[in-house]
Amino acid sequence: MQDKTILEVNHLSKKFGNTDVLKDIDGTVKSGEVICVIGPSGAGKSTFLRCLNLLEKPTSGEVNFEGTDLTSVDDKHLVNLRERMGMVFQSFNLFPNMTVIQNLKLAPMRVKHVSDEEAEKTGMHLLGLVGLQEKAHVYPSSLSGGQQQRVAIARALAMNPEVMLFDEPTSALDPEMVGEVLEVMQKLANEGMTMVVVTHEMGFAKEVADEVWFMADGYILEKGKPEDLFDHPQNDRAKDFIGKIIQNV
Amino acid sequence: MKKSVKTIIQIGLLLLALVTFTAWQTSNASEADNALQRVKQRGELIMVTSPDYPPYEFQVNKNGKSRIVGMDIDVAKKVAKDLHVKLVIKSMNFDSLLVAIQTGKADMAIGGINPTAARRQSVDFSKIYYSGGQSFLINSSDVNKYKSVKNLKGATIGAQTGTLQYGLAKKKIPNSTVKGMDKSTDLVLALKTHKIDALGIEKPSAEAYVKNDPSLKMISSGYHLDKNEVGAAIAFKKGSGSLVNAVNKSIDQIQKQHLTDQYLASAGKYMKVNTVNTSMWHYWTYFAKGVEYTILISVVATFFGVLIGVVLALMRFSKQKWLRGLAISYTEFIRGTPLMVQVMFVYFGIGVVINIPALISGMIAVSLNSGAYVAEIIRGGINSVAKGQTEAAESLGLSKGDMMRFVVLPQAFKNIWPALGNEFISLIKESSIVSIIGVTDLIYQLNIVRADTYRGVIPIFVAMVLYFIMTFALTRLLNHYEGKMKHAG
Ligand SMILES: Nc1ncnc2c1ncn2[C@@H]1O[C@H](COP(=O)(O)OP(=O)(O)OP(=O)(O)O)[C@@H](O)[C@H]1O
Ligand SMILES: [Mg+2]
Repeated sequence: MQDKTILEVNHLSKKFGNTDVLKDIDGTVKSGEVICVIGPSGAGKSTFLRCLNLLEKPTSGEVNFEGTDLTSVDDKHLVNLRERMGMVFQSFNLFPNMTVIQNLKLAPMRVKHVSDEEAEKTGMHLLGLVGLQEKAHVYPSSLSGGQQQRVAIARALAMNPEVMLFDEPTSALDPEMVGEVLEVMQKLANEGMTMVVVTHEMGFAKEVADEVWFMADGYILEKGKPEDLFDHPQNDRAKDFIGKIIQNV
Repeated sequence: MKKSVKTIIQIGLLLLALVTFTAWQTSNASEADNALQRVKQRGELIMVTSPDYPPYEFQVNKNGKSRIVGMDIDVAKKVAKDLHVKLVIKSMNFDSLLVAIQTGKADMAIGGINPTAARRQSVDFSKIYYSGGQSFLINSSDVNKYKSVKNLKGATIGAQTGTLQYGLAKKKIPNSTVKGMDKSTDLVLALKTHKIDALGIEKPSAEAYVKNDPSLKMISSGYHLDKNEVGAAIAFKKGSGSLVNAVNKSIDQIQKQHLTDQYLASAGKYMKVNTVNTSMWHYWTYFAKGVEYTILISVVATFFGVLIGVVLALMRFSKQKWLRGLAISYTEFIRGTPLMVQVMFVYFGIGVVINIPALISGMIAVSLNSGAYVAEIIRGGINSVAKGQTEAAESLGLSKGDMMRFVVLPQAFKNIWPALGNEFISLIKESSIVSIIGVTDLIYQLNIVRADTYRGVIPIFVAMVLYFIMTFALTRLLNHYEGKMKHAG
C-alpha cells in the first residue's frame, strides 16, 4: 500500500504566452505520502499544483493519476478524475450563497448523486472532524478566516478524495489562526491521506512531510527528506531561500 | 480580442449592412400600378396624418373619447365615401408622413402638405384641394414692432421642421434666423416665451390660434408664391396614378361645391368646444391611456429584453466562435446606434418586407435594444463572480452546468438584479421615443393634449409628474426586494 504510486509527473512544462513557468518537472507521489513544496514567490508552485488537477492545462508532459494521463483525457472524463482530488485554496473560496453544510453537500449530491440524508450525515461528520459542527447552518461570511479554511478542507474531504492538494492554506490567515488549520491538516496526514502542500510553515513541513521539494524559476531544484533539505540543503538557491525563512521565523 | 472573432464580427456587420441595402432596394423597385384596386379590394382607405395642426387636423375629446377631426379629415372622408370604402386614420409625426406612404404604411398622406417640386420627386400628389396662404403668428405685445412682414428682417423665426414654412422663412426673410421644431404646439410656446419673434404658419392654422388665444396676432406673409407652395394636396406613393385619378374626382367636386368652407366651419366648432375646458382633469383619460401604453411597452420590452439578453449572454460564453462573434456584433451594433433610428428602422425598414403595426414595431425595437444592454448586464454580473469560485467548483468536479446554476448565477444575480431594475426604469423613460411612429404612449398623448388645449407647459408638467411617479414607485419596489434578497444572505 505504502508503495503504490498515485501521482506521477513526467517532463511537465507550462508556458503562459512566451514565459516558461514550469520547465521539465518530474515527480512521484505515493499513496499516503505528504509532499511539501517550498520556494520563492513566482517559482511556479501554484501553477504546478494547478497542473496536477488540470485547473491549468500543461503545455507538454504527462500527469499520471492512478495510471491515467490527465493531459490526454477529454473534458467529461476529466471531471470524473478531478472529483477524486481535493483542493484547498489560499483564499478558501467557500460559496458565499450557501450555508456551511450546503457547501459540503453540493458536490457529493450533484456529482456523486449521494442522497440528501447521506450527504448531510457525512457533512456533519466532517464538520465534527474540523471542529465546526455548531456552524453547520451559518453562512461563510460569519466565520473567521481559520474557520472558513477548515470548512474548505471539510468540503474537499466530502468528496472522499484520494489526494488533497493545498495551495498555501495558511498564508491568508492571521497568525493566531494558523495553528487550528495546521492541526487539522496534521490529523489528516496521520490518518494516511496523500497530500501535496505548498507551504512555508517549516514546523509543519518538518513534522509531517515525507519529502520536501524546493522549487525556483520553474524547476524543482532539490528534493529530500525535510531534515536533510532544511538542515543541509545542497543547492545554492535552496540554501539562500531556507536561510531567509529561518531568519524570518 | 482574438483575431478570428474580430473577423467574424466584421462579417456579421457586413451582412447586416447587406440585408439593409437589399431591403432598401426592394422598397425602391417599381411595381405595377394597382393602388386603386388594392384599396377597393381591401375595402379600406388608410390615411396617415399628424393631428397637431388645427384646423387641418387635430384631436378632440368628445364624450370621453378621443377623435381626430379637421378639414383634412372631412376631405379624406369624402374621398373614402366616393370610393365606397371605409376610412382608416393613422397618426404620426409630420416628418414621417411621406416615409409612411413610401413604405406602404398607408395609402395616402394628408396633412396640409404643400406639393412642392422637391416633394414631387419622391411622391405623387393629387390636385390641390385647398389654398390657405402663408402667414406669421406674433405676440400681441409686438404688434407695433412687427406691423408687416418687412419688419421681420433679422428676426428669429420659427417653423415646423420639414415644412414649406421653414424653407420659405429661410429664403424670403432677409437676415433671419430660422428655428425648426417638430410640433406646432412647441413653436407656439416658443413664440409666447419670446424664444422666437414670429412663427411661420399656414393662414387657417394661424387664424385658429388667434381665435383661441388673445395673446397672439397674425400678420400676412405677403409672399408671392406659386400655387404649389400655398395649396394643400394629398400625397401618394409614386406610381399610384389610378388612385390619384380617383381621388382627383372627389377633389373636383369639393372645389366646385366649395366644401372646404363647410369643413373649416365645422372644424372651428370643434375648436370652440375644445377650448371651453382645458383643465388637465378634463384630459385625464388621455394621460391614463398614455401611462397604460408606456407601462405596457416597458413591461413587454423588459420581458423580451431579458430573454434576448440571456440568450446573447449565453452565446458570449459559448465555445462556438461564430456564436460569440454574432452576439458581440449584435451588441455592438445595437449599442452603437440610437434607439430612435432602431424604432424607425423596424417600423419603416422591416415594414417594407412585412407590415408590422406601430405598437408591435415599437415593442420589437425597444426589446431588441434592451436585449443588448441586458446581455451586457448579465455578462458583467457573471464576470464579477470571483475566479476562485469557479475554480473551487471545478476542483470539486462539478459540471459546467451545475457550476453555473448553483455557484455562479446565484452570486451573479445579486449584481444583476439592481442593474436590471435600472434598465427597466430607464425603459419607461426611453420608450417615449416610440411616439414618433404614432404609438399612443405618454409622450404622444402629451403632444395631443398640448395641441388640443393650446396650453404649452402644463401638459408637459403633468407628464413629467406621471413619469416620475412611475419610476419612483418602481425604484421603491425594487429597493424593497433588493433589501429582502440581502437578508437572505
Ligand atoms: N494565468 C497566468 N497568466 C500569465 N502568467 C501567469 C499566470 N499565472 C501565473 N503566471 C506567472 O507564472 C509565474 C509563476 O506563478 P505561480 O503563481 O505559480 O508562482 P508561485 O510560486 O505560486 O508564487 P507565490 O509564492 O507568489 O504564490 C509568475 O511569474 C506568474 O506571474
Ligand atoms: Mg502561489
